[in-house]
Amino acid sequence: MKRWLVWVLILLGLSQLGQGIYIEAKAWLAQQLLERAWERARVGEARPLPWPWADTWPVARLRVDRLGIRQVVLAGASGRTLAFGPGHLFASAPPGSAGNSAISGHRDTHFRFLRDLRVGDRIELERRDGARVRYAVYRRGVVHETDSAPLRRQGAQLTLITCYPFDALSPGGSDRFVVEARRIAL
Amino acid sequence: MKRAHAERGLIRDIGYLSLYSVASGVAGALALGALILLLSWPARAGEAPFNEPVAQSVRDEVRGPRLRLRSVDGGGGGEAPLLDTDVRMEISGMTARVVVKQRFRNPGERWVEGVYVFPLPEAAAVDRMRLRIGERLVEGEVREKAQALRQYQQARREGRKASLLSQQRPNIFTTAVANIGPGEEVGVEIEYQQALRYDQGRFSIRFPMVVAPRYIPGRVAGSGDLGGFGGGWARDTDQVPDASRITPPLREPGAERANRVAMEIRLAPGFPLALLESPHHAIERLGDEGGVHRIRLRESVLANRDFVLNWAPRAGDEPHGALFSEHWKGEEYALLMVMPPHVGAVRDPVPREMILVVDTSGSMHGGSIEQARGALRLALGRLTPADRFNVVEFNSHARVLFPSAVAASRDNLSRALAYVDGLEADGGTEMAPALAAALDGRRETPLLRQVVFMTDGSVGNEEALFELIRQRLGASRLFTVGIGSAPNSYFMTRAALFGRGSYTYIGDPGEVREKMNALFMKLESPVLTDIELSWNGDAQPDVWPRRIPDLYAGEPLLVALKGDLGAGGVRLSGRTAGRAWARELTPRGGAQSPGVHLLWARRKVADLLDQRARGRSGEEVRGEVLEVALGHGLVTPYTSLVAVERRPSRPADQGLVSHAVATELPEGWSASKVFGTLPRTATPAPLHLLLGGLLTLAGWILKRATGGGA
Repeated sequence: MKRWLVWVLILLGLSQLGQGIYIEAKAWLAQQLLERAWERARVGEARPLPWPWADTWPVARLRVDRLGIRQVVLAGASGRTLAFGPGHLFASAPPGSAGNSAISGHRDTHFRFLRDLRVGDRIELERRDGARVRYAVYRRGVVHETDSAPLRRQGAQLTLITCYPFDALSPGGSDRFVVEARRIAL
Repeated sequence: MKRAHAERGLIRDIGYLSLYSVASGVAGALALGALILLLSWPARAGEAPFNEPVAQSVRDEVRGPRLRLRSVDGGGGGEAPLLDTDVRMEISGMTARVVVKQRFRNPGERWVEGVYVFPLPEAAAVDRMRLRIGERLVEGEVREKAQALRQYQQARREGRKASLLSQQRPNIFTTAVANIGPGEEVGVEIEYQQALRYDQGRFSIRFPMVVAPRYIPGRVAGSGDLGGFGGGWARDTDQVPDASRITPPLREPGAERANRVAMEIRLAPGFPLALLESPHHAIERLGDEGGVHRIRLRESVLANRDFVLNWAPRAGDEPHGALFSEHWKGEEYALLMVMPPHVGAVRDPVPREMILVVDTSGSMHGGSIEQARGALRLALGRLTPADRFNVVEFNSHARVLFPSAVAASRDNLSRALAYVDGLEADGGTEMAPALAAALDGRRETPLLRQVVFMTDGSVGNEEALFELIRQRLGASRLFTVGIGSAPNSYFMTRAALFGRGSYTYIGDPGEVREKMNALFMKLESPVLTDIELSWNGDAQPDVWPRRIPDLYAGEPLLVALKGDLGAGGVRLSGRTAGRAWARELTPRGGAQSPGVHLLWARRKVADLLDQRARGRSGEEVRGEVLEVALGHGLVTPYTSLVAVERRPSRPADQGLVSHAVATELPEGWSASKVFGTLPRTATPAPLHLLLGGLLTLAGWILKRATGGGA
């Protein structure tokens, strides 16, 4: 009698588990595909699409040696792009330029490491021309999503944005965790 | 025994279940992955509702393609110079002479260069700039733009104080001041001449105080790295190649020092006043002597909204015409104002097709959208059953309420009113699709077709929009309504000129009714068209503008002339309500008024620049503009004013840091509505995992409870 209920519950549970695993798997798998596209970007391809129907392409590579982080940064930060990797905000300066470049990523996949960043940590950004630009974290904090002040900050800096709190279960909160790093000489 | 069996069963079940979960999770993930990757492909299509020849802008992830951000590298420390502005206006008859004194003070320990992007009235004839160093004044000289820049940059390198005043738009200028020493103050004094606005029996003057953040459409062009002056937050795009120079950085909300303006006015109207008001700022009247009224701002104000002064004579005392002349460098110049006879609103206005266009971009958020909604309601309430209408709303995209204009029936009007009540402001300002939807390009329309365009005009691609209006206008007429605390006056006046309509401003909710009624008066009265001035006798003065715009109820004819006006008089003719109309005038003498030659030159420059849109070659126009500008000392798109101190003041071993002076956000604006919010970055993965875990666990427990014993 209750047998059908058992199976419904189990199937529902499995499909939920499947979706959760799928999101994590996609985030991980995409980075592998992106590494290859990044190599093509490095040899001069303007918009190397990681898969034929992609609407984004690699624009930089992010490294934090202390945490063992290596990620390919994508063009744009729409929800579709962020599923595959951290995204560079079109509105901000190009990655590694003299302006303020902003990159955002999911708090529960790629940018989970943001909570482990400390003031003084070194972040390296590899540009498509091969140049490596280094930044030092000087500020980390929580802001409201409507506070665009970090994006308007002057000077050569890298602004990393993710959602906050990190362990919130459901998406859609209005707080953002922002790490700001200033460009330093190599 | 039984218990051990049960435990073994439990472990086995857990094992199976886990294995099964992981396997199905992975399988499901792969299947779903393939499916979703495939599905994510077509999601890109279907986002452009209009197939007009308008470049799709980059879809910006800061919620919609809005303002683009960029910042200037300060080059390592130092503090930005602080700024104070003093304004002095001398108003007399139909003209005003205005002096704007900008004082740059360096609070830091290093030598700095200050760059300030600021607005002036769109018709200002800027002809003088002086650099003030303590008590000394260095007179600026007008030069071809590139030459002025070279001169300035050389002085900057050599450590000499210098200032450069250049024009980015007719209503956006940039001052650059080089080599301000630590703790030092350097002043830049700018002067301009302008004609007053006289409309429906009332004079007014407008002094803009801030360049509102502009929406920059198009794709980012070039490297996006730092360019020239301005230090703007926007990057240059294919549609706005000078975006970085018209988007000054905004003051941080927490910054302790603001940009303030003090103002003093001497008003000699030439008639007793029935009205004198400043609708947006508190003023103080210091006294009236011999017909000259002295007025000042009660206290210095934050530079975040336009200052407006209105005054009017008593009913019956309105001027019907005026002539102001000046003898300058051996030539005669004159400014002629003629009030055409007032036909007044017709009792039975002809049926019309009215297209109401409203800007619902993020910059309209707050008070502006309320004013726009109020204005729309009034306009809808004015329609009669014989009229037809439609409503167009635009932000990142344009939307029309009805597929095409509909009869102003009670049903349609109530639908429109409900739609208007639901309008919210958010998103970008893609104006071209809205203009394209509102102006259909038809040359023959069964009804009189009037487009009322409500916006703050905060866009950077004005020229392209004017071109679009010119091409698609057809038999329609375009009326602009400038909304908010700091509308783009250049866009309002020029769009109305190209649209052969008129313009009005609504600065706060209390003004909506009065200003809209003035607009309805114009919409419902016959317009005076085909206006011509023909001189009797030998006199052939050089008149600008060349083509006299159509005049609506309450608007005067205002032209600038050069040359002898002769004794034979002039015949003013035109057409109104289907009939020819003419009037003989004998303009002679006229009050001497310094600066009239500047108004003539400024009108000529504006007209020449418009000829580019009508197909004249840019090089040819540039040559003619240069000749006028250098002759009269005017700042134009091709000429700048530059002042250079003779001796260097900065020691050779000290560096120079460049800083853009931050500007205020216009009153009533919300930064998050304009610049967007930070992107959303969480996935539901943890939620799925937790839910999945709980559900399977619950299922398993149930299974144990029911099936375990069986």
